[in-house]
Amino acid sequence: MRYSRTLIDHFLEPRNAGMMPAPDGVGQDEYAECGDQARVFLRVRGGRAAEARFQAYGCGPTIAAASAASELIAGRPLADLVHLKAQEVEDALDGLPDDRRHAADVVAGAVRAAAADALARGNVGP
Amino acid sequence: MSRRVYLDYNASTPVHPEVLAEMLPYFAERFGNPSSIHVFGREAREGLDTARERVARFLRVRPEEIVFTSGGTESDNLAVKGLAWARGSGHVITSRVEHHAVLRACEWLETVGFAVTYVPVDGHGMVDPDDVKRALRADTLAISIMHANSEVGTLQPVGAIGALARERGIAFHVDAVQTFGKLALDVDALGIDALSFSSHKIYGPKGVAGLWIRRGTRMVSVQHGGDHERRRRAGTENVPGIVGFGKAVEVRGRDMRDEELRVRALRDRLWEGIRSRVPEARLNGHPTERLPGTVNVCYRGVESESIVLGLDLQGVGVSAGSACTSGSIEPSHVLVAMGVPLDWAMGAVRSSLGRTTTAEDVDYVVDCVEALVRKLRAQLPVGA
Repeated sequence: MRYSRTLIDHFLEPRNAGMMPAPDGVGQDEYAECGDQARVFLRVRGGRAAEARFQAYGCGPTIAAASAASELIAGRPLADLVHLKAQEVEDALDGLPDDRRHAADVVAGAVRAAAADALARGNVGP
Repeated sequence: MSRRVYLDYNASTPVHPEVLAEMLPYFAERFGNPSSIHVFGREAREGLDTARERVARFLRVRPEEIVFTSGGTESDNLAVKGLAWARGSGHVITSRVEHHAVLRACEWLETVGFAVTYVPVDGHGMVDPDDVKRALRADTLAISIMHANSEVGTLQPVGAIGALARERGIAFHVDAVQTFGKLALDVDALGIDALSFSSHKIYGPKGVAGLWIRRGTRMVSVQHGGDHERRRRAGTENVPGIVGFGKAVEVRGRDMRDEELRVRALRDRLWEGIRSRVPEARLNGHPTERLPGTVNVCYRGVESESIVLGLDLQGVGVSAGSACTSGSIEPSHVLVAMGVPLDWAMGAVRSSLGRTTTAEDVDYVVDCVEALVRKLRAQLPVGA
């Protein structure tokens, strides 16, 4: 199997999949070359991501990356998430094959956009 | 994971036990070089001759018209380039949905001065013989059209195209890798002059294939060396493989018709199951004029690889109709030529059934597909 056990686990049992009603921040990103998309929703409390949910379209690694990122970012400050690196998402999956690195890129991009959206709207939470 | 279901018979097939048994003595006992004149060589030659006769009997052609090669790709290259080079210059007609072995050989011919017309296909992936007729030129030297498409299974009207070629004395090559040993094929009635066929698609070993060339057809070799295969394909023959191929062909002659009916029924059961239980699924390829075991389905809004991966994790082997390579999506050239919209083509999955497939396998796969597609769609961004 070319994918890690962690990646397969997230693909088979995605955490936090689906929309979030009235989120405090929403962001999405697309990898235009292959059409993969990720959208991240944030619930913010005290300037931190209290809860994250995602929607994704793409190959298995993209779905798994979105699931892993939704756990990775929970509890972290928005100021931190606006700089989230793809490498962190990739590490959370225990690695990605070279030809699937875009999965981490597109998901990290969606997280950064969601955090920036919450900050821009002043939704830093109670 | 307990259950394993292989639905990728168009990619390759398991070696039939009777084939394996026939091959085994040719690895260590009858190992001689068939070109050698001593007894060891003669034993190997005997295996080669028997295989050639079996293939010729199956195709109802002369044994000396069969050339053994290393695979369907080599057979296609030998046919396309060999027919063209024999004439030196001119025009070739092929279709947009051919296997890459034909397409890229034709593209290469263009780089060395030949002209090539790539005729289109309709929404079912079928070539219109009138398009071939319109593409004919005074200098057209060959037409190369596949018998059935490996991805969507559509059968081409090779008889009508063969008649056109015959009327004008143009060589007609047919890539029959996906139909040989699966469907009856009469090279004379279909007006064919060269036919590519392969072993590992019909329960023979990999690394062996054949090209039948009608006697009198002008063709040159593309691989030079010794006088093997009547100087049409240099190189010591893969004797164990060819022996296995010959046996596989003999077994197909015995089992083909019954299996065709059985597999066709399973194919229709699979599509009917998917059609009735998975919304927004469309069948690619001709509804009836199609390989007996091929079901290519697009699932709207879901990406091929995620389905292939999800099924793989449940023990099911199918193939993706579009490939994401190094982060860039490559929709199948066949689906693109058929005009399948990109958002559908990205979700194409091919299942191909064969001799070990059962109704229980098919029902299991339908259950898996239904649950998987529902789950993948549930996490889709709206509008994706």
